[in-house]
Parts: sequence; C-alpha cells; structure tokens
Amino acid sequence: MTDAKTLAYINMYAVLGTLENLCELDPKASALLTNKKPISIAFDVKGGPVATITFKNGKCRMVDSILPDADIKIPFSSPEKFNGLIDGTVTPIPTKGFTKIPFLLKEFKKLTDLLSSYMRAEPEKLEDEEFFRISTSLMFYTICVAVAQIGNNDEIGKFSASHMVDGDIMISIADGPAATVRVRNHRLVTIKKAPENPRAVMEFSSIRLARDLFDGKVNAVACIGDGSIRMRGMISMVDNLNRILDRVGLYLA
Amino acid sequence: MAREINKYDKSREWFKRAVEVIPSGVYGHLGPAEGCFIPVDAFPLFSERAQGAYFWDVDGNRFIDYMCAYGPNVLGYGDPDVDNAAIEQLKKANCTTSPSYKMVELAELLVDTVHSADWAFFAKNGGDVTTLAIMTARAATHRKKIVFTKGFYHGVAPWTQKIDYPGVLPEDVANNIYIPWNDADAFEKVIAENEGEIAAFISTPYMHGNFVDNVLPAEGYWKRIRELCDKHGIVLICDDVRCGFRLDLAGSDHYFGFEADLICFCKAIANGWNMSALCGKEHLKSVVSGITYTGSYWLSAAPFAAAIATINKLKAIDGPKMFKEKGTLLAEGLKAAAANNGFDLIVSGEPALFYLRIANDDSLMLHQEWVAECVKRGVFFTNHHNHFINAALTEEDIAETIEVAEEAFKVVKRNHPELQ
Repeated sequence: MTDAKTLAYINMYAVLGTLENLCELDPKASALLTNKKPISIAFDVKGGPVATITFKNGKCRMVDSILPDADIKIPFSSPEKFNGLIDGTVTPIPTKGFTKIPFLLKEFKKLTDLLSSYMRAEPEKLEDEEFFRISTSLMFYTICVAVAQIGNNDEIGKFSASHMVDGDIMISIADGPAATVRVRNHRLVTIKKAPENPRAVMEFSSIRLARDLFDGKVNAVACIGDGSIRMRGMISMVDNLNRILDRVGLYLA
Repeated sequence: MAREINKYDKSREWFKRAVEVIPSGVYGHLGPAEGCFIPVDAFPLFSERAQGAYFWDVDGNRFIDYMCAYGPNVLGYGDPDVDNAAIEQLKKANCTTSPSYKMVELAELLVDTVHSADWAFFAKNGGDVTTLAIMTARAATHRKKIVFTKGFYHGVAPWTQKIDYPGVLPEDVANNIYIPWNDADAFEKVIAENEGEIAAFISTPYMHGNFVDNVLPAEGYWKRIRELCDKHGIVLICDDVRCGFRLDLAGSDHYFGFEADLICFCKAIANGWNMSALCGKEHLKSVVSGITYTGSYWLSAAPFAAAIATINKLKAIDGPKMFKEKGTLLAEGLKAAAANNGFDLIVSGEPALFYLRIANDDSLMLHQEWVAECVKRGVFFTNHHNHFINAALTEEDIAETIEVAEEAFKVVKRNHPELQ
C-alpha cells in the first residue's frame, strides 16, 4: 500500500527537510554549524526527488534543485537506494566533494542522529517539557511536508488531492507552529508558516493534543466533536487533507 | 429585541459521557464532524423530544428544524395519522415469523403511486436498497462496472465509498467509473471505453452534493442518459432516497421526465419509521427474486403501516406542491434578509430540498458564521448539506426563520467591518 518513490520524496523533503527546523529549534544543532565554513550537499535521486541542503551560519536551508556550485554531490541510482541512506542500509558515495567527506561523517551525521532522537523519541525524554515541544514541533513540520509529497506522488494520495480545490489550508497548533498546504491544480506544496488568507483551517487546541494525534492516541473525528480540533472554511479541503494524513503514518512508521 | 442565545451545557455533559462509550461520541451525519458543526459549541448535540416542525434539545432549546432528521420528517414529527397507524399495527404484531399482509398493501400502493414501479422490495436504510440495485444490475447484465456522477452519495457500503476512505480496499471500488454531473457526452465516452462492461448508471435525480451549489438536470440530459442506457443494455438506477416523495409522489424520475429501471426510496417514505424500498420495472423482477438479500427487521409490519399512512396523507395534502410553495417562500425571504445586510445568499436545488451558500467569500467562513448565529437563535440550518421542508412547517415558522436569519446576518456584518 506504499511505494518507494513516494517514500523517497518524503525522506528527502519531509525528513531531511526538517533539518531546517532542527537548526532553528535546538541550539545544539545550530552550534554544530556555527563558525564553520558554509557547505552544501546535493542529493540527486534518479527517478525521484532532488535537493540541495546548505549549512551556513548555524542555519540550514533546503531547495528542491541541484545547485551547480554544491560542494558535495551524492547521486542515487533509484529511490530505493536513497531510502536506504535514510534507514541506514546504504552508504552514500559522493561524485564530487571528496575533501568534504569529513563533514558528512561528522557534523551531518550528528545532525541526522539528533533529528532521529527527536523523531523517534524515548518516552522518558518526552517528559522534559522543552524536548517535548521541540520533538512535537519537528514531527508537525515533517508530517505537514509529507502530506504534500503523498498528495503529489502516492496513487491514493493523488486521488485525494484530485478532490481538493485551489487555495491555502492552514494547519496550526494553538501554542505552537503553523504551516500552509497550498493547493494549485491538485498539486500540493507545504510552506512552513501560516498563510495570510487561508481558505480552510484545521487548528489543534494544544501541542499536547497534537502529539496525541500524531502518536495515534486520539482520533481527529472525535477531537472535532469535543472542540479540541477546530476546523472552518472549505471543509472539503480539510476532509481530503485528513485522508492524506491517514497515509502519512504508513510511510513514516 | 435581540433573541436569547442558546446554551448547551447538558448537551456537552451527554457528549462527554458518549465519547467514553461510543466511537467519536456521535458518529455519522448527525455528529459534529460529518455534520460540519462549525464552531461545535454553536450546535446542540442531543435531543429530548420533537413535534411537528420542531425539536427540543436536552437543554430545552427549541429549534425550527430544516434538516428534518436529514429527510425522514416529511409530514411533521409525531404526525398523528402516521403514528396511530404504526401503533395500531404494533398492538397486533410487528416482527413476526410470517410477515404481515401490510407489506402486500404497501407494495400495491407503491406500484399504484410510483410511475416506474412494477414491484417493490423492502429493507431498512437507503444503502440497503442502493446496494440491492447494484446487485440487480450486475445479476441482470452479467457485467461489473458502475458509472457514478461526481458529487454522488449512495450510502456507506464499501462500493459507495472512495479509494482513500479508511477501511476501503482498492478492489471495493475497482469497478467504479466517475463522470461529471450533467455530462451525457462523458457517459457516451466511458461506454465506448468500456464496451460491454457497464452494468449500471446510478445517480440522484439532480446533483445535491455538499460544499457546492446544487445543480438541476440540463435540458435533455436525462432523455439522453435514458437513450444511451437503452442502446447499450445498461440499467438506469435513480437513487431517490433523498428526494423521493418530496418532488413528486410518482418518483423524481417522473418529475424530471424520464423513467428509471430501478428507483430507491427511504427517508420520507414512512415519516421517520424505519424502512426503505427498491422499486423497479417488470423485466428486473425475476432477477431480484433470485438474489440472496434479507435482514432481521426488514419485514416488520409497523413501518409498513406507517408508510401506507404517510403516502396516503402526502397524496391527500399534495405534499410536493406544498413543499415547493413553502420552500420558495422561505428562499425568497432568506435572500431578501441577506441582501438587506449586504450578503449574497445563493439558494440552489429544488425548493423542497434547498441548499444555501453565502457567496461573499470563497472560503465559506462567512456562511459558517451565519449558520452558527442562526442555530444559536433556534433555527437549525446546517452548513454544507441540502435542507428539507416538512408539511408541519407553518408560514409563522417561516416568518420567524427569516427574522432570525436577518438578526444573524446583522451579527456577521457587525463582526466583519471590512465588508462595509
């Protein structure tokens, strides 16, 4: 019920893309990049996603193209090979930037390990309020970006997207982050900030509720009934978004 | 003087208890999620009693009810003629080993009343009979595929759902073909692409989907669909579960000038007593006879007695004519109240099943705010589903509704100075 190509898009933009937010939310992440020469890594997946991640001044930014002046270039012969990088079964071999390999082995690995510690958090760590907030915020961004990748690539996700009208959907946590899922001609793009003029809104009443929802402890339909999830606007957009959200767990499990 | 705003403390208390023991508290179309209760605290969640055109919630708030239990309330809640017929039958027998002769009387009444009915088969819900209609079409044609029009709703059985719905397998919907409403050319195209494979075309008599204005059939549309079905041996199924007995007692196919092979009824057929019916043409009668399809309560007698009383009363009062007149009066009043306050209220579909949409913004948020203000003042509209007229609704109720609507428009206008 899942496919490798969609998973590669999710791994690229939703998982590696969350390094952007990790560097903003956790000082330990930005410290790894501070006072270091800027460096960029291009990932080129044949028949799949492409992206360049640039690390500069303690921050991280991803673009969905291969920048010609990227310091390191890593090609993958298939989505499956790239997915292997993310699950640790494939060792990447750069075609450019051999002298920058220490960054891959040291800082980049520490960043991805840190990201993993938040994304697959141990229960006792989540008892720390700040860790909980960062972990849940990172999950939020990952899920929101994964929605767009599933809506654009997964066969059933594309069916859901085909029923969505144009406009911006705001997904937000009352005391936490917000994101926009922008729909244009049934293609989805996630922007990691709230829209100015949403056509539809889905708002979680608290970061705790959002976490419970992400962890599958509560159901969105039940939460709408008790008011802990509020929706308004073009509900057909929220309805189809929820159908795609149902598939996020299949890919990120 | 401004109206009192409803409070729902007891509804909330019951909902807290409900979520402990019932999935999502209130599931389905009567619940806050599918029912699009926006915001949820503007709406009642549980009722205490109902009479005529009204229901009272557990907090004692009275509502002029334009949802009519999503259709079944056609003569008025607790109609004495219908309820007495059912109660008298209950005193004799209801769920018995041999079915009551009442089912024969009802079948005869339907055959006499419904233009395309040569026989009648009884069940409980609309989905029971839409599913039987599909099985009948497949059994008759020995074909697999079914053509739907987009915006459809034919129940909740897996074949009626979509591939991205929880619990639905790709195999459940693998033989579904979707075409736009009012597009006979698209139907002709899919027939050519699936030559000899299409068993049925299923559709409501007009498009009453959610979130969009409802659309009546274009001139000549149904005539052409009928011709294409005849030419290619496709069974034409009219899902009249929602419209049935509100537009035309002879069936909504008759109302729109065509003849279905199979026609599905539920909702208004027995004024709230639980039953549904599939009616059809003679040539499909023996096919249905051969299908294994039954249920524990499908032949209960009290709902048959209620249905007989309902249909006879609808005939006596000319229900469809009354619904059209009342729906038109209400629609004109609501549109005027909107215009008085600078809002563009679109009323679409048939007056008996009117659909509302405020067109000043494309997000429907203004519409949701207005509906919430109406509900808080005792007029039960819903956000994105068509409404229903019932025979107990009086001109005084309509006048009160328009007053409430006007007050609600003023509140929304006041809350949105940017619209001035």
